[in-house]
Amino acid sequence: MGHTIAEKILGSHTEAGKPANAGEVVIARVDSTMIHDARAAGAFGAVERLGIEKLPFAKNTALVIDHFSPPPNAEAANTHVAMRAFAEKHGAQLFDVGSGICHQLMPENGYVTCGAMVCGTDTHSTTYGAFNAFATGVEGTDISVIMATGQSWFRVPETIKVMLNGPLQPGVWAKDVTLNMLGRFGAEGLNYKAIEYKGTGVSSMEIDDRMTLSNHAAELGAKAAILEADDKTLAWLKAHGAATPNPVTADADATYFKSIEIDTALLTPQVARQHMIDDVVPVPDVTNQKINVALVGTCTNGRFDDVRQVAEIVRGKKIAKGVRLVVTPASRDIYLRAEKEGLIRDIVEAGGSVDSAGCGTCVGITNKLVSGDGEVVITSANRNFQGRLGNYESDIWVSSSATVAASALTGKVTDPREVDGGQWRAA
Amino acid sequence: MSSNAKIKGNAHKFDDNVNTDVHCSNKYTPGLEVDDVAKIALSKLNDSFHDSFEMGDVLVAGENFGINSSREFAVHVLKKMGISAIVAKSYGRQFFRNAINNGLPLIECDTDGIESADDIEINLETGKVSVAAKSFEKETPPLPKEVQAILSAGGLIPFLKEHPDWKLN
Repeated sequence: MGHTIAEKILGSHTEAGKPANAGEVVIARVDSTMIHDARAAGAFGAVERLGIEKLPFAKNTALVIDHFSPPPNAEAANTHVAMRAFAEKHGAQLFDVGSGICHQLMPENGYVTCGAMVCGTDTHSTTYGAFNAFATGVEGTDISVIMATGQSWFRVPETIKVMLNGPLQPGVWAKDVTLNMLGRFGAEGLNYKAIEYKGTGVSSMEIDDRMTLSNHAAELGAKAAILEADDKTLAWLKAHGAATPNPVTADADATYFKSIEIDTALLTPQVARQHMIDDVVPVPDVTNQKINVALVGTCTNGRFDDVRQVAEIVRGKKIAKGVRLVVTPASRDIYLRAEKEGLIRDIVEAGGSVDSAGCGTCVGITNKLVSGDGEVVITSANRNFQGRLGNYESDIWVSSSATVAASALTGKVTDPREVDGGQWRAA
Repeated sequence: MSSNAKIKGNAHKFDDNVNTDVHCSNKYTPGLEVDDVAKIALSKLNDSFHDSFEMGDVLVAGENFGINSSREFAVHVLKKMGISAIVAKSYGRQFFRNAINNGLPLIECDTDGIESADDIEINLETGKVSVAAKSFEKETPPLPKEVQAILSAGGLIPFLKEHPDWKLN
């Protein structure tokens, strides 16, 4: 009987080294890990409870200051002090204020490669599946045990095969694919499963969009969201100093929990309405909806191609009166590239603002932007629970970066295909 | 298997999609500690819950208990409250993992027919969930033995202290 990518990668990291079977619990080696500042205190507490002074595997851990970057209070600042000390003590790399978001920094800095096992203290650690790794979110206890032993226990997930048929139209992005799936299957609708994304819908995507696909699978409840590696993957990894890739493909007779096909060639831009990430409608159906705040950024959609989408749409124009547009690049590297290519200037001249790299306006714990009562936010983030941005009396809608930018121009939810620059395609 | 494989307690029933970030953590109320949240947890879902809850009681729920929670804090709160086990149709992925890592027993089982105040009995070793008074009995696949061992040690950290030579299987 054949095996899925998840079964093969998990199995290859066990003592036996043979593909594992869905449903089994295995003890598997973990190649690299990530701790960010919103979980660092919990992780260090677990290390203390563990009572082990030397953590031989901590050198494979990236410590990332992103949620509170820069820190808005003394508690966060003190966590950062502890993170710097921990990194120093254990020979781990620390990414300080302004470096960017963990899920962008991990692949950019060579912590991810094909066939690897990667764990991070964040639900969106699934992002690294875009590089053909098995990557999943864990908590402090797991991370402490992994830093001490190099391993943890994993239940081998069943896999759902998702075929994306056909390249997306210009103005339609990976975000729209996932929103569409959330509308169909519901938030957590694929709970505890691994997803394998396949088909020309994926192969035609650039790396930035593929990362969105794997990242946003967290809202579907996925334990991992794994793509096959191709030339684009290998070239990207090589350019970012990744360890030797060991690409893994599924067997032709692999057992899948379920197979899904989506006609991605026909997909239109999608938007999730307030409070529920699975209350999804096509953008053309809701173009009367007024918006007050437009946000682009986060680990889901703060990549270079996202910043570019915004710049292409707003260049030489002005955003609508009263609308606030904030763009937060996902890493310093993206920020610098955008600056070099004049994209930052395009956005700022149009009336937007660009924040330093980090989690920025994703969650209302840093108080970087709180919307007013009755105001509507449209964001390229991944979640829209009531009050997530710090005000229960404000609504949050979620869409692609292109839809956010087009909406910032008009002050209403707007189909990016209808505005100049909204047809831009990544290549 | 140790003696804590059998759990008995009063059931408290909740619906689908209990979001433990919202109802059982300090994510949106920074500054509150585990003890503080333990006094108010889940009360927005059932305002009389804390009046009838006693240490050792069992939470019963529908689909996706612990949805969206990647926070271990939620499990620390439930343990602090003295919840002896959770029985639900399914769990949020990260919640399930956190519960096991912190020694909070949980079992996946069709909970239709179980109601609040039912006297519920769970056998983790056999996967049997029953309410004797109403002849309710469900056999579920028991948790894998590796997971039962972690639970029975009280969580992953105590387990590792008992098994310092924990090896790949």
